[in-house]
Amino acid sequence: MIEFKLTPAQKQMKDLTHWFAANEMRPISMLSDKLGKVPDEWLDKVNKMGITLAAGGGMGGSGSGSGSSGAKKDDADVDPEVKRQTNRTTVIAAEEVGWGDPAIALTLPGPGLGGPPVQGSGTPEQKQRFLSIFTKDKPRWGAYALTEPEAGSDVSNIRTTAQKVDGGYVINGQKIFITNGGRASWVVVFATVDRSAGRAGHRAFVVEQGTPGFRCSRLAHKMGMRASETAELVFEDCFVPDENLLGGEEYYAKRAEGKSGFQVAMATFDNTRPVVAAMATGIAQAAYDYTLDFVRKEYPKSGRLYQLACEKLADMEQTIQAGRLLTWEAAWKADIGQPNSKEAAMCKAYAGKNALEVCETCLELLGPAGIDGHIVEKLYRDVKVYDIFEGTNQVQHLIVARRLYDAFELRI
Amino acid sequence: MISFRPTEEEKQFADVARDFAAEIREAARACEEAGRPSDVLLKKAEELGFTVMELPESADGLELPLVSQAQILEALCFGDLGVVQGFPGPADADSLLRTAAAAGLDTLTADLGAQPSAFVDALQGESLPKETLRLDTANGGYRLSGNSRPMRGVKFAQRLFVAVADDTGQPAVVVLDAAADGATPWQVTEGDVRLGLLTAGVARVALEDVAVPDDAVVAIGDSASQWLTAARARVQVLQAARSVGAMQAAVDYATMYTAGRKAFGQEIAKFQGVSFTVADMAIETTAARNLVLYAAAQLDANDNAGVQSARLAAARASRSLRFVTSNGVQLLGGHGFVQDYPVEKWMRDGQAQAVLYGRESERLIEYGEALLGKGGASA
Ligand SMILES: Cc1cc2nc3c(=O)[nH]c(=O)nc-3n(C[C@H](O)[C@H](O)[C@H](O)COP(=O)(O)OP(=O)(O)OC[C@H]3O[C@@H](n4cnc5c(N)ncnc54)[C@H](O)[C@@H]3O)c2cc1C
Repeated sequence: MIEFKLTPAQKQMKDLTHWFAANEMRPISMLSDKLGKVPDEWLDKVNKMGITLAAGGGMGGSGSGSGSSGAKKDDADVDPEVKRQTNRTTVIAAEEVGWGDPAIALTLPGPGLGGPPVQGSGTPEQKQRFLSIFTKDKPRWGAYALTEPEAGSDVSNIRTTAQKVDGGYVINGQKIFITNGGRASWVVVFATVDRSAGRAGHRAFVVEQGTPGFRCSRLAHKMGMRASETAELVFEDCFVPDENLLGGEEYYAKRAEGKSGFQVAMATFDNTRPVVAAMATGIAQAAYDYTLDFVRKEYPKSGRLYQLACEKLADMEQTIQAGRLLTWEAAWKADIGQPNSKEAAMCKAYAGKNALEVCETCLELLGPAGIDGHIVEKLYRDVKVYDIFEGTNQVQHLIVARRLYDAFELRI
Repeated sequence: MISFRPTEEEKQFADVARDFAAEIREAARACEEAGRPSDVLLKKAEELGFTVMELPESADGLELPLVSQAQILEALCFGDLGVVQGFPGPADADSLLRTAAAAGLDTLTADLGAQPSAFVDALQGESLPKETLRLDTANGGYRLSGNSRPMRGVKFAQRLFVAVADDTGQPAVVVLDAAADGATPWQVTEGDVRLGLLTAGVARVALEDVAVPDDAVVAIGDSASQWLTAARARVQVLQAARSVGAMQAAVDYATMYTAGRKAFGQEIAKFQGVSFTVADMAIETTAARNLVLYAAAQLDANDNAGVQSARLAAARASRSLRFVTSNGVQLLGGHGFVQDYPVEKWMRDGQAQAVLYGRESERLIEYGEALLGKGGASA
């Protein structure tokens, strides 16, 4: 049956996360943007509260829940659609933390984008080793390092090399724009063992902080998301033991046609794009809520401005809701085990682009005052990247179009 | 005749502006960090006459036609919109001085020269209750009070031209000056501006029951209304021309970048998702430029239709500027989002420009009202 009701557990998760977003994140939102970082004491505090970020969900047992806290309560003997709701629950929570503050959200302690590849491809020992470190004693982070100066959208072009040596690999190369890359306890690093082999030569390694030859060379200054760390990483003859090759040697050897590091990287995206879309929806909702409140308090109750506001508010509401439903659909497909690349790309393309437009419209409604100290201008600066990272808008279009033309056996 | 050919003089002036724009571009980040254009740039802008192009000759200005100014301002803002918005001088008040004589205020301009000023227009569009200024009559004199919205140039201003309604609802223009020691009868609230145009001296004015001598109310009633309409049209055209400069910067930068950047084994420009976007940006920029020039030409020819065309040019420029600069970031991918490249600044400045220079929808409604003959200042 088609329905759009949250389960009691989801409702609870949404309320809890919203409470956290409103009462813990918002008060430090503008401050963190100004400082260019989330205050350490705050991170320590929320870590002690057990709040962590794990994109893609599915991290039970590691002490970190999906989204921002773990309220997973599955009923064992119901059908799979009911039983497995992790992705839906995750996007619901992700929207709320995006609403709170997207830059702080990405700085919440936890494995972050590094979680899904470890969870999805790691050996049981690796999962235990890398995912069990997210404990309450101090905040820790994971990171995901795919992008390079010459390989962004075209991830198959990565040039970071991993050369096999006795007992492990030697990694050389550079990664850019890595979220939490400087502070992470470990980073999932994609490298090639053989450039001529193309994607089949890609491997994913977990490189731990303090490994000789691995360092963070620089943090980027950005138009928005200023409180979120974006790092440049350098690997110079960095030795990584065999145990840190994600999945182990057998993982790659076993698959004759080779489940490459590339596929590990790509599989991550189908899970994380709806999360990114959900955060973009949360940002749009935040700008909208703020503006609605402003209009209610500050606008005259009739006349030209009032009419203008009515139309624009309605238009935004409709845009936001459409993005949310596309996101839910992508998450639902993942939950029921169906391929969701097309839906994941659709929601990311739609929500990423339209959230920016919603922020622009909100700024128009706030008028010149909006430039001064209102969170909407910050959300506007933050949101642009949601149309860029995790695959740009253009790349999402390509994915959607490819899926559409698949039916005609036409590869575009 | 229909022609898009600039005059020789305009070409020369625009060439000088273009050379200067390269210096402006180079210094833009440092200026943004400092919160104001550098002294070197300010001095040069003054020397080259770029700060007095709109001023009438009676106020030692160049009194250039709008069509010429539009080309020069575009060339300058190709360097950096934010920096140019911070140039000293009478900010948007220059258009008030330019139109003063036509409004019957010939004596006004002679003694109000290229002083750093701001045009605090509390009458354009509808104001929110918290952002209104009031001119009250009291014991035969006037008193001015209230808070303005954030406006360009306020931070640096030594003189304010305030458009405000008196207690009978009549529009008035009040000129307030700083004292000889620099003390101003108004307070400046800089606020917390992070979005863009950080070098443009954007701030609010607060006036607390300031006594205004009669002769400071330089126009009132119909004469004020006509004057303001004429001045605003010019401001709209000149601001839209600046926006076009920022758009052209984004178009050129994105074209250059995508011609060099490779992905999937080829220049990304070879993907139509990229090249069509660049083309859209260029189309949008050219369309906006032509609307600006059209309105400018009408106003230069004292054609009354120019007031309406200026509204359209302003509304379109506001929309196009956001579209073009946002796509400038998009086409650089992650590199567009970081401050190692200029496009993110242009997007922020572009949005700030759109926010400061009024609601796009309001310009369109004003246009429609004038068209249908309801309320709005008729063309
Ligand atoms: C704040 C921030 C955080 C990030 N965090 C991470 C992280 O944690 N880990 C990580 O690995 N990466 C991260 N990234 C990198 C991000 O994923 C890349 O920037 C993004 O994938 C785009 O790559 P690029 O920047 O190289 O752009 P490019 O690939 O160079 O793209 C430039 C332009 O070309 C277009 N384009 C490219 N190919 C095509 C095509 N075939 N058809 C049509 N158009 C095309 C793009 O859409 C874009 O408009 C982050 C980036 C930012 C800005």
